[in-house]
Amino acid sequence: MVSLSIRGLVKRFGDLVALDRLDLDIAGGELFFLLGPSGCGKTTLLRAIAGFHFPDEGSIRFDGEDVTRVPPHKRDTGMMFQSYALWPHLNVFRNVAFGLEERRVPKAELRARVEEALAMVRMEGLGTRKIHQLSGGQQQRVALARALVVRPRCLLLDEPLSNLDAKLRIEMRGEIRRICKDFGLTAVYVTHDQKEALSMADRMAVLDAGRLAQVGTPEELYRRPASAFVAGFVGETNLVPGVLVAVSGEDHLVSTPLGELAGRVVAPDWKPAPGESVLLSIRPECLSLSPTPPEQNAIAGTLEESVYLGEIAQYTLRTEGHDKPIHIAELNPRRVLRDTGAVFYAGAKAEDVVVLPAG
Amino acid sequence: MSRPLALAIYALTAAFFACFFVYPIWHTVREAFVTPEGGVTFAYVEELFRNPIYLEGFANSFWMGLFSTVLAILIALPLALANHAWKFPGRELLNALVLVPLILPPFVGALGIRQFLGQAGVLNTFLIELGLMDAAAPFDWLGEGRLVGIVLMIALHLYPIAYLNLTAALANLDPALEEAAENLGCHGFRRFVRVTLPLITPGLFAGGTIIFIWAFTELGVPLVFDFDRVTSVQIFEGIKDLSGNPFPYALVVVMLVATTLFYLAGKWFFGRDSFAGSGRASTGRHLRPASPGRAALCVGMFAFVTALAVLPHLGVVLLSLSNDWYGTILPTSLTGQHYLDALGHPLTLSSIGNSLKYAALATGLDLLLGIGIAYVVVRTKLPGRELLDAMAMLPLAVPGLVLAFGYLAMTREGQPFAFLVHSGDPLLILVIAYGVRRLPYVVRSAAAGFQQTSVSLEEAAQNLGCPPLKALRRITLPLISANLIAGGLLAFSFAMLEVSDSLILAEQQQHYPITKAIYALVTSLGTGPNLASALGVWAMAFLTVTIVGAGLILGKKLGALFRV
Repeated sequence: MVSLSIRGLVKRFGDLVALDRLDLDIAGGELFFLLGPSGCGKTTLLRAIAGFHFPDEGSIRFDGEDVTRVPPHKRDTGMMFQSYALWPHLNVFRNVAFGLEERRVPKAELRARVEEALAMVRMEGLGTRKIHQLSGGQQQRVALARALVVRPRCLLLDEPLSNLDAKLRIEMRGEIRRICKDFGLTAVYVTHDQKEALSMADRMAVLDAGRLAQVGTPEELYRRPASAFVAGFVGETNLVPGVLVAVSGEDHLVSTPLGELAGRVVAPDWKPAPGESVLLSIRPECLSLSPTPPEQNAIAGTLEESVYLGEIAQYTLRTEGHDKPIHIAELNPRRVLRDTGAVFYAGAKAEDVVVLPAG
Repeated sequence: MSRPLALAIYALTAAFFACFFVYPIWHTVREAFVTPEGGVTFAYVEELFRNPIYLEGFANSFWMGLFSTVLAILIALPLALANHAWKFPGRELLNALVLVPLILPPFVGALGIRQFLGQAGVLNTFLIELGLMDAAAPFDWLGEGRLVGIVLMIALHLYPIAYLNLTAALANLDPALEEAAENLGCHGFRRFVRVTLPLITPGLFAGGTIIFIWAFTELGVPLVFDFDRVTSVQIFEGIKDLSGNPFPYALVVVMLVATTLFYLAGKWFFGRDSFAGSGRASTGRHLRPASPGRAALCVGMFAFVTALAVLPHLGVVLLSLSNDWYGTILPTSLTGQHYLDALGHPLTLSSIGNSLKYAALATGLDLLLGIGIAYVVVRTKLPGRELLDAMAMLPLAVPGLVLAFGYLAMTREGQPFAFLVHSGDPLLILVIAYGVRRLPYVVRSAAAGFQQTSVSLEEAAQNLGCPPLKALRRITLPLISANLIAGGLLAFSFAMLEVSDSLILAEQQQHYPITKAIYALVTSLGTGPNLASALGVWAMAFLTVTIVGAGLILGKKLGALFRV
């Protein structure tokens, strides 16, 4: 269980800046997620922690020890690869035993620890199987056992669930979190699946073009995004541009193409002044749709589409003055509104409308 | 891999190439343009173009290269297309058999051809017995049309290279591309001309180039046919009085320039748009079972070509078994004596031992260099690694004769590399010569292995505490062992068969490799040709085993080894 401290990390590939002066601290025992779109630098950061890339600038410390230039085989991290990287010429047991052999663990202890690791991922008794005889989920478990059996200083996971089907993916989320917590492991987990991050992370970071867009707990990032990018990447949202008109207490009144809307500023150190351009972020589930205007933040429009998904009903409202349609999600819908073409009103409470810096 | 290690490998292999590829060529080139007084002159090269004998040699070499290439492709293309389109009985076996001629040394086969087409050969005897020819004035097939015999022999030897390249190109073709043509109403021959042929042109060009360069500079076959009106033989003859004679050097330079120009012209003409890699198969290919008529046609075609190609070698086998075979259709009596004599002959055992020694050491050298180069090229981002890759493939494009000549020149008394030939023993220089010539096969097969093996397999080992070189040894090398074995076997077989280097560089009897021993026996009197045949059969049997082994291990990937 180590803490990770990353300072001023820069990594360039030719002209491309993959990591741009990145600072990050991860506490011991934390399950930390790196989230971001393709090419944002999250895998580069993970591979820099593992030692497969040496950064051009900056430092990486494990519990204060500088490992920036330590080669991967001396870092003592346990990595789970996206492709699993199980060796096809070795069977399950020999795959899992590999790291212990490298550490010259005595035979008897090695056998016991491999069995224990296989049991932990519910693969007991399958040690003699060849890798190609395993299903995707089983391969994923072997890869996890192989990374864990050496009791690494930290566990690194590179989109480990992306090759699994949806049901297995949800099952393994719980499994991986359970194992990390049972062992008190420091784990860094890379994914582009925001549901995975929200459901598993202690804390998470959203990366954008090699920089940290925001770091925080899942609730913080979802409820109090620092930027339109984070709001749009973690969960879905409606973004509406506008100009701040007035501030009264917590409520910020913003003039938008959809009319005047009231919202709240959630960033602790940002105090916009009237006249400043801002963006409003309104989550679909914060909006409700009705044939009559609500008291606050009424947005008028014509119903373009309604989709019923069982636990949820999704509506698309076409408004005048704003080129993007407004998305509305109603949880536990008792009655689905299907009069497309008719005029409806969407409304949200001011505390659910987040005022963000423009651009 | 750590950067310093990669740099070290890069530097070492680059130095090796500088010494044993660039330097011998440069050395030869220099000798062709420098007068004994040290001045620069074009007189030697000019003189070549004034001498009608040399000019005829060039012309013959060019026709030898061109006709052999065209004929080889004409043989291979229908086979490859049939194999591409239909399923027919015995397809796998026929596919393997059709490759066999590649490993039968052509200049040994030439012995067999002489037996069939010579003045007292099988064909004439047959015609005389039928009363179609006057026994007193037999027709001299080889004398009148010797180039035809040579071209036939070379084409029948080299068509497998075209076949391998074409099947590989066809296999890589996305079936959807052909299906799209069908869908738009383009079918049969039109589809072949409009879609398939343009897409396999790079493969065709890759195979054709190797065949052309090989045939253009072929030494063994014209030598056995006693045909000295080609440049390669003229160079070989010129070596006998090398001291003070600049013309062999000048001939080598002209040959090198010509191959380079042909190669570049071909590349410009055929390779302008490379479609390679543009289509990974998006749908599976389904082979249609051939109708009985087509199946018979396919099987017949494969069987005919294979039989034709091994006919000369059957002649060799018969010759090696015959007591007396002169002016009769079949040998009058058979004997196993030549095999025993061949084994008892002082040249035989020493030459087999020498060849095994040279070829094994050369293969070891190739594996060492090949793995190193392939690793740097595939697994590192070192600037200039493409250059290393290209350099390692260049020996395919440079005639063996040119290099052999360069080695001879650079190891002569008083030259900087004279120490490589220690008191007449060509061991070191032959190992290097074989090694350089066959390196491309090992580099390509190792590189293919590295490319197919995900780098994350090695990273996973490093992540678990395994140092980079050990991870290479424990994980990747076992995984690509099939590629390495196959590449190594090919390098080994071809080293055993090497003609130019062997004939030119081994000067003393006790150091002769098999090929030179066979050549020496062929030109000796009495039972010499029979003994040579027996020795040739030993060599063929041995090589058949190794190449079939390589084919079984590598399967379809074999074709990738013959690309420039």
